[in-house]
Amino acid sequence: MAKILYIEDIQDNITLVKKIVTSRGHEFLSANNAEKGLDMAVKLKPDLILLDLGLPDADGQTLSVWLKSDPALTTIPIIVLTAWPEDVARQTVEAYNLNGYLCKPFPLPSLVKMIDSALETNL
Amino acid sequence: MSIEIIPADRFTIQELTDLYNQTRVDYLVPMPMSADRLSEYVHDFDVDLRLSCVARDTDGQVLGLSMLGVRKDVAWITRLGVIPTTRRTGAGSALMDCMLDHADSLGMRETHLEVIKNNEPAHQLFLKKGFVETETYLVMRHAPRPLSDSLQGDVTWFDFDQAIESLERYPEHITWINAIESMKNSLDTEGLHVELPNGDSGWMVYRNTKYTLRSTLSHLIIHTEQGEPQNVGMQLLSHLHTNYPHHDTYAENIHEHDPHLPAFNELGYFTNFARIEMRRPGK
Repeated sequence: MAKILYIEDIQDNITLVKKIVTSRGHEFLSANNAEKGLDMAVKLKPDLILLDLGLPDADGQTLSVWLKSDPALTTIPIIVLTAWPEDVARQTVEAYNLNGYLCKPFPLPSLVKMIDSALETNL
Repeated sequence: MSIEIIPADRFTIQELTDLYNQTRVDYLVPMPMSADRLSEYVHDFDVDLRLSCVARDTDGQVLGLSMLGVRKDVAWITRLGVIPTTRRTGAGSALMDCMLDHADSLGMRETHLEVIKNNEPAHQLFLKKGFVETETYLVMRHAPRPLSDSLQGDVTWFDFDQAIESLERYPEHITWINAIESMKNSLDTEGLHVELPNGDSGWMVYRNTKYTLRSTLSHLIIHTEQGEPQNVGMQLLSHLHTNYPHHDTYAENIHEHDPHLPAFNELGYFTNFARIEMRRPGK
């Protein structure tokens, strides 16, 4: 069982992803802004972070920099889940050295596959 | 539907933030805000909440909001949005009319706004209200990464006063959020000047914003005093990122034909989206 942190400000999205993550037997954590997300990542050391790009206090790109700059967090894979256009998501993942992206709305099996793949690589 | 328009200063910042975020849930480029960020936005960009509006229906259900900034004889419309389930009810049009009535009654020479490229419903609304397109600007990002280019030139770092002094001499039009008033309103404004061995020179002004735990760079304005803008821009940006190697950078409203754009691209900046500036003369 892995510990997965989802940083997202929209409750409906959290509820949906929680269902998927817990149905796969993983522990699910969530934070609704960047500061809480960073705090939870530092304290709870998740195995995987699912990250929304549009957050209310600092956006997902900036948060990913903060997460990656902490030596204790730098190897945690980060998958972007975003409503931003696909080319922006792709360029963000490349430039910020993240581990993948899914553009909302995405097929649920794609999320499951991406989570499994990221955990397999990292565990 | 009967729509009532209420001054935004009758709502708390938290209420306005919640409403704004509801209007943006399905936005082309979702950019929610926290109450702290909205407060900072209102302060830095001279938004007047007494002149800003909230629309609601006769049952008291809020529908949307719009904000108005005022500087000298120019007004700026921003944060216009309507909750998705209440769109196509005339709320957006009523909010625009409220903004323009305020601008005209204050004798504003011109009203500006920016619309995200491909946000066609908003674009059409603004055209209908008498706005015309003027310029296109890019919103770009730069992730921290090692720089391979060698640094050249003599660098002088600017404090707040020196940065503002430089900006006062900037010859080009700057959009509202990067204008000198916006940069003066922020205590985070800094800059640098570079003089290259071949005599080329230029400066850059930017914000170095401290969050609770980290900092970011934003609001970049580059000017070449002498020489080739691409080379001067490369050195300014290289010095900036070498000095702040771990800062994420958000360069808003870089003109699509800015002569320094090749330098941005060469250093790994990429475009998040484009904004179209639109203007309407006062009545």
